[in-house]
Amino acid sequence: MEKCIPVDRLARPDNWVVLRSRQVREIREEQGLEGGRPMPFDEETLRSRLHGIYTGELQAMEAAGRTLFDFPDAPWEFQLDMARQVWDEARHSEIFQRLVEYMGGHPGDYVETEILWRCTQAMDPAARVAGINRGLEGLACDVFDQLIRIAQRNGDEVIERSVDYVLADEITHVRMGSKWMRKLTEGDPERLAKAQAFQDMVDEVFNFRGGRLAQEDIENDDGQVVSIAKEARMLAGFTEEEIQRLINSARKSAAY
Amino acid sequence: MPDLGERGHVMGPQPIAAIVQPPAEMLAAAEQLLNALMRGDHASVEAMTPAHVRDEMMAVAKAIPPNKYDKFELIGRARVAKHYFLKAQLTGRNAEPFKFQFRLGATDGKWTVREALNLTGRRSAWSR
Repeated sequence: MEKCIPVDRLARPDNWVVLRSRQVREIREEQGLEGGRPMPFDEETLRSRLHGIYTGELQAMEAAGRTLFDFPDAPWEFQLDMARQVWDEARHSEIFQRLVEYMGGHPGDYVETEILWRCTQAMDPAARVAGINRGLEGLACDVFDQLIRIAQRNGDEVIERSVDYVLADEITHVRMGSKWMRKLTEGDPERLAKAQAFQDMVDEVFNFRGGRLAQEDIENDDGQVVSIAKEARMLAGFTEEEIQRLINSARKSAAY
Repeated sequence: MPDLGERGHVMGPQPIAAIVQPPAEMLAAAEQLLNALMRGDHASVEAMTPAHVRDEMMAVAKAIPPNKYDKFELIGRARVAKHYFLKAQLTGRNAEPFKFQFRLGATDGKWTVREALNLTGRRSAWSR
């Protein structure tokens, strides 16, 4: 298996521009805009955020496909779940592509960053599903839950319903991840700990500088900070203890 | 034969927002830069490049033989807020196509180069 495939090996049209997330943050700062915290109710910001989710869904589709390819000896049911996820992510990509177009944009109008793909680079299938299905798809639950509230506030039923439809799938992806992380590490606590550590690393990337917080820790919910979607995460099978651990970790990152 | 997914036939929400057009001044600046590069007019290229970006821009400029290319095409355009990344391809009758990427940003109404990278022989700014 080839380790750490660079993000620009992913198939993209020639007109796309791929950058490091850090570089995007620096370019925004160069323009006097604060890092990754634009005003979400602004039309341009919403369009750019939808484009970011669209490219995220593409990378999620590629990540699930790669997991299917990388671990041919994994149980057949595991492979079936990954294949199912590729199908789901392909539909999500199309949904978000249509939402970008709905907002007057086109695929490739904004740069694509590597951050999600970077979080898929694990050599053990248990760590892979912990990072992707529990870390990234858990993040998707948070982001989509917030996007639904933004759409409700904007009175936009198209975005509200589309994202709700996708959120329902993400919940099943997290469940899938929890099931396989536990099943693949049965009787091997060291492997389980490594998988959880990989997920913690992924969670930490997205808690960076207080970019994600518990609802009760957000003083004015103007949509700038991603809130941890407790209800969606409970539906997805995260335990209260796991959610609390994420909240504590987010608080630590914000303080840092 | 049933319609199995021709995108143009798909019903659904239609765009609600106006398509954002890139600023004409930015496109004019890109054209000015590309023409200067093709002519080998390094003074004009330097005039559009702040000091901290000059080395990387001139590395691209020096890799372009003067008057060997006579056409350019903007093959990509993506933005981060109000800065535009452009991918350009230069072509000429007896020359291999030359591809590079640059970023333009405006200060006080003047568009200047903020970064530049030769993409010839590589897939993106990411890796070879």
